[in-house]
Amino acid sequence: MIGAPVLRLSEVGKGFHGTTVLDDVSLDVPQGQFVALVGPSGAGKSTLLRLVNGMYVPDRGTVRTLGENPAACSRSRLRALRARVGFVFQQFGLVGRLSALENVLMGSLATLRLPRYGVMSYPRALRVRAVEHLDRVGLADQRFQRCDTLSGGQQQRVAVARTLLQSPELILADEPVASLDPAASVLVLEILKRISAEDGISVVCSLHQIEFALATADRVVALRGGRLVLDEPAAGLTADRLRAIYDAAGARDG
Amino acid sequence: MVSTTSTRHAPAEANPGPLRPPWSARAFIAAGLLGAAVAVTWLTFWWIGLSPASLAAGLGDTARLLARMWPPDLPGAGDVARMIAETLLIAVAGTGLAVLASVPLAFTAARTHRGPRWLRSAARVVVVLTRAVPTLAFAILFVRIFGLGPLAGALAVAVHSVGMIAKMLADAVEEADPVPAEAARACGAREAQVAVSTVLPRVFPALTAIVLYRLDINLRTSAVLGVVGAGGIGVALQTALGSLNYHRAAGIICVIVVLVLLLELLSVAIRRRTRAGRSAGDTTGTAALPAGRAPHDVGWDRGRALRVGGAVATGVVFLVSLWSLNPDPGRLSGAWTNLSAVLTGMWPPAFSGELLMAVLESLLMALGAAAAGAACGLVLALLTAVNTTPWRPLSAVVRVLLVVVRGIPDLVYALLFVAALGLGPFAGFLALWISCTALAAKFFADSLEQLDPLPHEALTAAGARRWQAFAAGIWPQFVPSFTGNGLFVADLAMRESVVLGIAGAGGVGYLMQESIATLRYDTTAAIVIAIAVVVYAIETLARIARRHLL
Ligand SMILES: Nc1ncnc2c1ncn2[C@@H]1O[C@H](COP(=O)(O)OP(=O)(O)OP(=O)(O)O)[C@@H](O)[C@H]1O
Ligand SMILES: [Mg+2]
Repeated sequence: MIGAPVLRLSEVGKGFHGTTVLDDVSLDVPQGQFVALVGPSGAGKSTLLRLVNGMYVPDRGTVRTLGENPAACSRSRLRALRARVGFVFQQFGLVGRLSALENVLMGSLATLRLPRYGVMSYPRALRVRAVEHLDRVGLADQRFQRCDTLSGGQQQRVAVARTLLQSPELILADEPVASLDPAASVLVLEILKRISAEDGISVVCSLHQIEFALATADRVVALRGGRLVLDEPAAGLTADRLRAIYDAAGARDG
Repeated sequence: MVSTTSTRHAPAEANPGPLRPPWSARAFIAAGLLGAAVAVTWLTFWWIGLSPASLAAGLGDTARLLARMWPPDLPGAGDVARMIAETLLIAVAGTGLAVLASVPLAFTAARTHRGPRWLRSAARVVVVLTRAVPTLAFAILFVRIFGLGPLAGALAVAVHSVGMIAKMLADAVEEADPVPAEAARACGAREAQVAVSTVLPRVFPALTAIVLYRLDINLRTSAVLGVVGAGGIGVALQTALGSLNYHRAAGIICVIVVLVLLLELLSVAIRRRTRAGRSAGDTTGTAALPAGRAPHDVGWDRGRALRVGGAVATGVVFLVSLWSLNPDPGRLSGAWTNLSAVLTGMWPPAFSGELLMAVLESLLMALGAAAAGAACGLVLALLTAVNTTPWRPLSAVVRVLLVVVRGIPDLVYALLFVAALGLGPFAGFLALWISCTALAAKFFADSLEQLDPLPHEALTAAGARRWQAFAAGIWPQFVPSFTGNGLFVADLAMRESVVLGIAGAGGVGYLMQESIATLRYDTTAAIVIAIAVVVYAIETLARIARRHLL
């Protein structure tokens, strides 16, 4: 378990049009750790995650993801890096008209050269692996069902399976359960947690529900107004202390 | 090490189960449509003798014609103003008459109609027939009945518009909430009262939008009605081309293009205003009653004054436009005898082999041009849509170009190509191809921009290449609207290809004009029936395809 951190942010700053969204954030994530990223709306959680896979470029400081600096990568190197980093979106990002299996297969595009359309345009070996991953999230039987006929929780599990097909070394999840009901949320978070533990994949997952963060994560990192205000193991934390971060933000804004 | 993660867990099952998706109707329909489009395009190319060599020769001839047209010779300012005014008044009068006729027709044709079934079916037949026959076909007929001039043109615009306005209005009526109508019926209201006081207010915004949309189309159409002698600026174009005065023809085409582009700008501005007004105007109804107003008095405020003023102004413009058509009683009584001669002469319809071949030619021109236009339009749409364009400035340039190309009526292209290449379907195909390309590009770009951007973003975040992210994240979402809009373009092209024959650009239009000129109304009737059947068939096919591809 000892080695270079999977993710290292050093004194990172980022703003848009003159505003400061992230300010002097430093963070190391070792391999296999499940990090919950909490903080009130607008604190900069999504911005931080997008810096990690190069969707945004930092204004100050450096980001090192899996030993690479995404801001300094060429286009093809950045693609190769992104292929090793899974990203789970709040709104899933699935194509509703297509089957669950085809959506999962899209996770392998970075390993293929040409554009693909249709399940049969992917090699058999990839289809076998895609079905295995669908099975891991409990949806092997729904493989040929259209995604827009699946429930929200099932769609997010398909999105997780798509990410798994990338064989990621790091998974970034931006409020993956914010549009799900509590039962589906628990299921999705448990799957992420199990994958992290079984495969030794680091996960950075932004969450709004404090209870979920404490129950799932190894470590909780809190942002407020773009600054890192708390970084502790989940084991020693209480819900009240985390809630205070949200309340302080509310008091300041009001 | 981390990179071995994918092999850490054993496969969950030794047998992964089926890896090939079950066959679906969707795949068959998509493959069938694609195959049909390719086959029809090929057939059309063969029919009209299109080859790279003939295309190059044709474009060379067209370039030489354009060179001969230079410099354009504009008519005097007074003449231009008079022709433009007449063109606009035809469109306004025709649209107004169509609205008056459409409202009762729409309520009768709607599924929610409570009268006898045969009445509803009759209303639907009227809707389908008037929609299937193009304005210019009606114009030829009405010139025969009412004589040359704007009256025939306005009536042609009116009759054809009735079909579309009534259909769209009937859809809005069917969608309106049925509960208020039930409540009014429960109070003992008559059906007409129910329609006027509960349904009409609910569909009024839809009606306004439909009328503005149709007025926009009619303004363009009325610019070319003159080609068959039905008034407006097209008369001057036909005269100039007929006397081989190409400089004058170019000048008039310039006037038409500028007019159509100005109207396009105006309609964009109006659409923007009505959209802004609707979102900002929500609070007006909640304002407290002003003090000192009698409780039974609605009173005047800015909004009501604008509404009433607008309604009165619209009414006055409509009356002026009607008056400008010069419908004096002597002419109308003469029209009556002509009309009865036409109607009795139509029965029985006289079908012939020549006629069916001409209809087939129109169909081939339309479908070939629609398929080729959809292919070219797709490329242009990918260049212009904000989420697919490789380069923003290029997108802006192509966009402006498309508005200009779309602004010029098909018939003008057809007249030009006929003048350059001679009579025949080759000229008609080229004209249709240009307009189908511009139309398809607009439809496709609009629907590309409405797609969910997230799948594309997710795939880019997973390291997919540009084309891979497009093929997997955008294209599958786009397939239904691509097909739907493509078929819609084919539908419009079919109506247009009938019209182009009037300019001698192939297809059944020439036959139709000739049959009316030689008083063979039985042939006219057969042509109209054949066109209606073909258009209805395309529409039905499009509806079925859209339902299965969604
Ligand atoms: N692409 C962008 N352009 C301009 N401003 C942006 C952009 N992305 C984020 N911001 C701004 O940065 C701030 C932080 O946004 P961010 O999405 O990172 O917050 P968040 O913590 O994820 O909030 P939430 O919990 O609501 O998702 C916000 O004020 C937002 O408006
Ligand atoms: Mg966010």
